Amino acid sequence: MNFEAVIGLEIHVQMKTKSKMFSNGPVTYGNYPNYEVVPLDMAFPGTMPIVNKQAVINGIRVAHALNMTIDRELWFDRKNYFYSDLPKGFQITQNARPIGHDGYLIIKTSKGERKIGIERIHLEEDTCKQLHFNDYTLLDYNRAGIPLAEIVSRPEIRSGEEAMKYVETIRSIVSFLDVSDGKMEEGSLRCDVNVSIRPVGSEKFGTKVEIKNLNSLQNVKLALDYEIKRQEQILLSGGEVRQETRRFDEAKKETVLMRVKTDAVDYKYFTEPNIPPIKLSEEFIEEAIRTSNELASSKMERYLGFGLNEYDANQLIQNRDISNYFDECMKLGANAKLIANWIIVDIQAILNKEEISINDFAIKPSHLVELISLIDDKTISNKQARDVFNEMLTSEASAKDIIKKMGSSQVSDQSQLLNWINEVLEANPQSIIDYKNGKDRALGFLVGQVMKLSKGQANPGLSNKLIKEELDKR
Amino acid sequence: MTYLDLPISEIHAALMAKKVTPLELVKEALARAKADKDNCFELILEESAIAKAESLGEPQDNPFWGIPYIAKDNFSTKDFETTGSSNILNGYVPLFNATVIEKLDNAGAILIAKSTLDELAMGGTGTTGHKGITYNPYDKEHNHLVGGSSCGSASATASGVVPFSLGSDTGDSVRKPASNVGLVGFKPSWGRISRYGLFPFAPSLDHVAYFTRNVEDAALALTLLSGHDDNDMTSSYKEVEDYSKYLSKDAKGFKVAIIKNVLDSISDKTIKEKFLETCNSLKERGICVDFVEIDEDLLKAIYPTYIVISCAEATSNNANLDGIKFGPRYEGDTYQEVMKKARTNGFSELIRRRFVIGSYALMRENQEELFLRAQKVRRVIVNKVNDILKEYDFIYLPASPTPAPLIKGSSDKLSNEYLIADNHLAIANFAGLPSITLPIGFENGLPFGGNITGRAFEEGNVLAVAKTLEDITGLKGLSVLNKEDR
Repeated sequence: MNFEAVIGLEIHVQMKTKSKMFSNGPVTYGNYPNYEVVPLDMAFPGTMPIVNKQAVINGIRVAHALNMTIDRELWFDRKNYFYSDLPKGFQITQNARPIGHDGYLIIKTSKGERKIGIERIHLEEDTCKQLHFNDYTLLDYNRAGIPLAEIVSRPEIRSGEEAMKYVETIRSIVSFLDVSDGKMEEGSLRCDVNVSIRPVGSEKFGTKVEIKNLNSLQNVKLALDYEIKRQEQILLSGGEVRQETRRFDEAKKETVLMRVKTDAVDYKYFTEPNIPPIKLSEEFIEEAIRTSNELASSKMERYLGFGLNEYDANQLIQNRDISNYFDECMKLGANAKLIANWIIVDIQAILNKEEISINDFAIKPSHLVELISLIDDKTISNKQARDVFNEMLTSEASAKDIIKKMGSSQVSDQSQLLNWINEVLEANPQSIIDYKNGKDRALGFLVGQVMKLSKGQANPGLSNKLIKEELDKR
Repeated sequence: MTYLDLPISEIHAALMAKKVTPLELVKEALARAKADKDNCFELILEESAIAKAESLGEPQDNPFWGIPYIAKDNFSTKDFETTGSSNILNGYVPLFNATVIEKLDNAGAILIAKSTLDELAMGGTGTTGHKGITYNPYDKEHNHLVGGSSCGSASATASGVVPFSLGSDTGDSVRKPASNVGLVGFKPSWGRISRYGLFPFAPSLDHVAYFTRNVEDAALALTLLSGHDDNDMTSSYKEVEDYSKYLSKDAKGFKVAIIKNVLDSISDKTIKEKFLETCNSLKERGICVDFVEIDEDLLKAIYPTYIVISCAEATSNNANLDGIKFGPRYEGDTYQEVMKKARTNGFSELIRRRFVIGSYALMRENQEELFLRAQKVRRVIVNKVNDILKEYDFIYLPASPTPAPLIKGSSDKLSNEYLIADNHLAIANFAGLPSITLPIGFENGLPFGGNITGRAFEEGNVLAVAKTLEDITGLKGLSVLNKEDR
C-alpha cells in the first residue's frame, strides 16, 4: 500500500522589538536571569497590557509577505491554563481574529515549486523560560512577554523535504523583514509539526502525531522522514497510530514518545477585556508594508538583473546581512559579478573560519568596492589584490593607501614594460611565429612571461596592448 | 466638629488661610482611624502619612492638597502591603502605585489607611474579607451590614475619618454601600479613570469609584482622577473637564426616567414614599420625570448575567495567584500540587466557588450556553438602557430596596425584590455609564440612597442633577459624628 504524509506546521517567531508585547520591559538577550523584567511580565496584580505597535507592524509585514488577508481590527483573547512557565495564568493571544489569515507560500523543492496554504498568523506573548533539574525548576522571566508571531500552515505539506523548505522560506522572510533573528538553534524560531499518514487517494486524515521543538532545518526533515516511516510500519503491520506528542532525539536520529495525548486541553478562550479592539487604518497598514524591507525573492530577481547567475544570486540571499552588504557595494557602483565573487568565495571563507557575521567583518563595503575597481581597471592584478585584501583585514586603511604603502602598485611605465617585453620576445622566437600564424594563445603565453619576469608587477592590460604592437612591428 | 468634617472646598480654604495644617488634619484623621470599632482597616499608615504631611511645605491651590484620604486595599500602593483582603496576598508589597494613588499623591493628598473589602472585591456584604466582618457605623450594636465590596472605605468615611475614600465598583460595590451609610458614591464612565494598579476582579465591569460626603467633593475628585493613562489602554482620551462648573448648572429641562418595574419590586414603603417625594420635588424644579418599563425578564436576567460574566473574568484574572509568584508557598512534587495547595489555602470557600462558576461558564461545552449567552444578554440590556437614555438624560431609582440589611438576615434570592431592585445598579457596569448614589432619606436611623445614572461620559450632567437632588433633600456632609443633629 502506498501512503502519503499530511503535515502541518506551527512556527513561533520571536520578534526583535525593543520592548515586550504588552509591557515596556526590554527585549534583550544574554542578560542575567530575571533582570529584564517589569511588573507586568511577572503578572503583578493591577498591571495592564499595552499593545506593542512595532510588533503589530511586524505582524502586518509578515502577513503581507505570506500573501495573507490582513484584519482591519486587532482583537486579543485570553488563553487560560495553569502552568509554571505562565506568569498570568493565561496567555494573551489572538484566537478568534488573527491579524492575518488565508495566505500561501511558494516553496522550491527538488521536485519543483509547490504552493503551501497558510491558515493564519497571530500575535501573542512568550512564556518564561524553565530550567528543569532533578527536584526543582528555575524560572527566568526575561523571556516572559517577548512578542511572538505564530504562523500556522494548512496541512498541505507532503514530505520532510517540503517541510524543511517551508521553514527555510519562512525563516528567510522573517529575517529579511528584520522581524526576527530566525535562529532555530537559539529558539528565536521554533517549530512544532503535526504529521499523519493516509493511503494515497484517501480523503480521510489519519491519526496525527505532534513533534515538538525541532531546533534545526535538518532536524525538521530528519524527524519527519523518520516519523513517516514509523507510522507506515505501524499501519503495514496492522497496528494503529496513537495520538501522541513526540520529540526528536538528535543522537539516535529518531522521534521519541513524550506523552500520549488525551482530550485536547480546553483553553477557555475569551476576549481580553483590557485591550479594546484597535482599528487598523488603511494608511497604517500601507505604511507598514511600504516601509518594510525587501524580501529575498525580490532581491533574487534584482540580482539576476545585474547579470549574476542563479547560483551566485542564491548564495547572496542565503543571509540577509550578506545580501545587505552586497547591496551596499552595488550602491557604490561596483561590478556585480566581481563583487559577488569576492563575497561568496573570499569573504564567506573568512566569516566561516572566524565564525562572525558580515556585520562584524573588518572590510567595509566602500573599501572593498575601491579594491575591486582597481582590479577592474587593471591598476592591480588579481594576485596583488589578494595581498591588499589580506592587509585590509587588519587595517582600517583604504585599498589605495595600502597599495601605496606596500609599494606593490603595478608598473605601467611604458619604457620599463617595453624592456621586459623585448627581453621576453628575444627569448621566445617560436611564440612570435605562432602568433603570426594566427595562434592567439601565443599572446597569452607572452603576457604571462612578462608578468613572470616583472614578478607580477607589470600592468597586464597595458602589457597585452604593447606586446601586440611590438609583434605587429616584427 | 473640626475642619476634617467640612466639605473639601472649605477644608482647602482653611488650609490656604493657614487656619489648619495638613499635619493637624492627618493627626485628627489618624486618631479617628485608630478609634475604629467597625473593622475598617487593613493597614493604618501613621508614619508615612505624618511624614507626607510634614513634607508638604507651603499650601498649594489645589483642592486635594493636604487632604487625608483612604484607599480600598485593592489599589496597588508602592512599599505598602496590599492584600485585597485575601490571605493569598498576605505579605505582598507592590513595587508600584496605582495611577489614582499616584495622582492623589502628586496633588498632595495624604493616604492615611488601606481599608478592608470583601475578599478580592468579590461580594456585596462587607463580611468576607480575611479580617472578618466590617460593620455599619450607624449601628453601634453591629447588627447591620455596611455592604460591599468597598466596606472599609464606606464605613470609615461615614465615621468621619476622612472626607474622601477610594473604592472600586464592579456591580455596585461603591454605590450600594454608599446607600447603606449615607454617603455619595460615584462611579464615572468606564474608561474615565485609569484602572492601572486596581486589582482586577472583572475588567469589563470594573471601575475606579469613590465615596465623598457631598456632590461637590465628588466633582472635585473626578477632575483630579480622570484622564487617559498610558498604562491603561481602556482609559479614554476624552478631554477632562472642570466638573465643578456643572454644579451651578440649572437642571431645568432635564428629562428623568424612572423604571417602573424596579420601583414596583420594592416593598419598603418608607423608601418608596421618600423616593416619589423627591421625584415630585425634581418636577417642581422644572425637571421632566416619566415612568418607563423594561421587560421584566430582562431585569431578572441582570443578576445571573452579572454572575456569569464577572466570575468568568475573575477566574482568569486571579490565575496569577498560584503560589509560585504570589501567595503562600507550599511544597509539592509537581507544579499542579504546589498551585492546588496555595489556591486551596489562600482563597476562602466563597471565592473558590466563584472561580468554579466562572471556569464552568467558560468551558468549551458550556461557553455558548453560559458565557457567550451572558454576553449577549448584557448587550441586549445595554441596548435597552441606551435606548431609554436617547430619550431621557438620566435614569433615577432607589439605590437599594432597603436600608442596610441585617447581618444575620436573609433574602429570597429568587424574589423580584432581590433579582431586580437589589441588583439593578449593575446596569451601569454593563454599559459603563456614570452612576451616582446619594442619600435621600432615613428609616429607623439608617440612611438610604437614590441613584442617578446618565449617558456615557456625561459625568457633568449627572453631577448637575445630583447636586439638584442634594439641594432638595438637604442631606449632605453626613457622618455618624453629626447623626444626633438630625
